Amino acid sequence: MLSVSRIKSLMAVFAATAVLAGCAVNETATVTVQPDGGRADMLESNSGFLAASLSIGDITVGSAGDLMRVQASLVNGSRSDLVFEYKFKWLDQDGFEIAIDGRPWTPMEITAYETKNVQGVAPNASAKSFRILVQD
Amino acid sequence: MFSFRSVVVLVAVLSLSACASDPKVSYGDATGVETTTTDFGSTDLQTIAATLVDDLLTFPPIVDLTTGNRPVVFVDKVKNKTVEHIDTESITDSIQTKLLKSGKFRFVDMSAVQAMQDQMQFQQDSGLVDPSKAAAFGKQTGAQFMLYGNMASIVKRNSDTKDVYYKFTLKLVNLESGLLEWTGEKEIRKTGEKQFFSL
Repeated sequence: MLSVSRIKSLMAVFAATAVLAGCAVNETATVTVQPDGGRADMLESNSGFLAASLSIGDITVGSAGDLMRVQASLVNGSRSDLVFEYKFKWLDQDGFEIAIDGRPWTPMEITAYETKNVQGVAPNASAKSFRILVQD
Repeated sequence: MFSFRSVVVLVAVLSLSACASDPKVSYGDATGVETTTTDFGSTDLQTIAATLVDDLLTFPPIVDLTTGNRPVVFVDKVKNKTVEHIDTESITDSIQTKLLKSGKFRFVDMSAVQAMQDQMQFQQDSGLVDPSKAAAFGKQTGAQFMLYGNMASIVKRNSDTKDVYYKFTLKLVNLESGLLEWTGEKEIRKTGEKQFFSL
């Protein structure tokens, strides 16, 4: 026999499990290149297995002609292999996103304690900053 | 108070009613990773286009070529050498769109030549268009470069696993000199394993 309160608590657990099972952006690095060539980096992490295991390490910013070119290292700090997706977003100097949906989510796998580099090239010369999103 | 049996019956009824209802329709992220089958899919198309465009735009001789200059390119077909039906024109369309939006290249559209010719003929011969504003024949720009390529695949399978390897090769050739200015490759490996409940 199950009481009403027991059923309610079970439903709450099911609902929470369903929410946790869904995809979520766990790690975001926003890098803004200043007019003087300097950089402002901001890392955001949400709670979750991936955020606890994966971190965004060194970020290198260069150029190919007048196009911004970046490389970011993704570090697996856990003893497990990680399978996830990443995506670049590019922003102009006013913060407008350029070429929305221009970059796909890209699947990636990193073995335990491994670091992998990902690279991206801005869709055009108006890009002044970028974001790297990582989700499981 | 509910018995355990009544809860099980309720869950079963809800499950069956869900099967009988209309299919649930929802919109998803067009750039999301799609792994429905090992066949060529949207993620493969988008990954190929993004990778090859990045590769072309950062190749040093191409950076020099496109600095202060927007070369005119013509896109030829990509040969599909795989066993699948793949719309390779969709891949080259995505690549062309990205290159055009980069501001580094311009394109001539050979698929619209007949329509353009018909429209120009109309402007010249119908008597309805101001002759001073009609597009003149013989003023179009010729392409300096041609973009073309191949798509190949290797498929292997056993009773439990199917492994598909795709290789997409794209080339940029100078039409006047015949020199191959750039070539890029994107490889994709997909493995599908038979699930316990699959048929």
